[in-house]
Order: sequence, then structure tokens, then C-alpha cells
Amino acid sequence: MTGKMAKSRWLAAAMLALAGGMGMSGAAMAQSADLAAALSSGAVGEQADGYMGVVTSVSAPVRKEVESINIKRRQAYTDLAGKRGVTVQDAAAATACQTLTRLKAGQAYRIGGGAWQKKGSSAIALPAYCASGG
Amino acid sequence: MKRMTIMTAGLAGLALGGCIQVKSPDKPIEINLNVKVQQEVVVKLQRDAQDLIQNNPELFPQ
Repeated sequence: MTGKMAKSRWLAAAMLALAGGMGMSGAAMAQSADLAAALSSGAVGEQADGYMGVVTSVSAPVRKEVESINIKRRQAYTDLAGKRGVTVQDAAAATACQTLTRLKAGQAYRIGGGAWQKKGSSAIALPAYCASGG
Repeated sequence: MKRMTIMTAGLAGLALGGCIQVKSPDKPIEINLNVKVQQEVVVKLQRDAQDLIQNNPELFPQ
């Protein structure tokens, strides 16, 4: 009897956790859709320092998501830097070479302390240190 | 005999004069390998960066 009770309680807890997880991912999905829209419209963009930036005014949730992504990126760059014995800035800049290369037309980017630009139909001029990476 | 000695000495002097003298430089010779190392780091990092982006798509939305 107690065994059955424990089992059903465990099941309920698992269901609750599952529902919670689904709810969470649902909210995250919705935010990501807003972020994706902001990205493709050029309201937020990629910077050569390896982080995302806000170009024009965006909604609070989108801004929050950009900040959250940047915090996680910093962690990832720190891990990579430790693994390769380079500075966090170098790891971030090397990754930026890739994110800048992946940009699609209409998306925004900023190199160095320059102004935000929108990618046109041609490839953008990457920072010199990106060249040998391929 | 004396004449021979003088001639030999003269020849030796000539030979010495024709020697190429190699002087060690005052400053130590430096070979800069930093450029190659830096390049390797960048190339390696680029591969790491690609992996990072692929493994964490939520951090790099497009």
C-alpha cells in the first residue's frame, strides 16, 4: 500500500516536473521568436567582441534575452579560453569571426567601436585577425 | 735560406690578409616565432568557435 502510494506520488511529481518543463520551454520558445524577429529586422545585432548588442529600442523581454545570452556566452568563452590558454577576449573575438560570417542580409553588426551597420547582399569586411581562420 | 724564410713569411702574410674574418655580433640573434604561434592559436580557436556555436545553438540564434 505504502509502496503504491510512493509510486503514484513519484509519478505525480514527474508529471508536474514535465509540465513545468514544457511550460518553461514554451515561454523560452516565444521569447526566441521575438528575438529571431529582432535579429532579422536588425533591431539587435552581432558585435565583433563576440557579444550581441541592442541597436534600436526593443521590448523588455527581448533586451533581457540578449543580456541572458551574453552572460551565457561569456561563460562559454571563459571555458574555451581556459582550455586553449588564451584570454577570454581572444576566445570571444575568434567566435565573433564565425557569428559575423553567418550573418544574413538585413541583419545588424558592429565592428570595433564603429557604428551599427546592416549587412547587404555582399560579404562584410571582417576584422583582419579573422582572415587566417577560414 | 734567409731569402726563403722571408718569402714564406710574406706568403703567410698574404694568406692571412685574404682570410674572411667572422666576428660574432654584439647583440644576440633573435628569431621571432610569435607570428606563427599566434596564427596557430587563431586557426585552432576558429575551429573551437565553430564547435561552440554548433553545440550551443541557443546562445547563437540566427
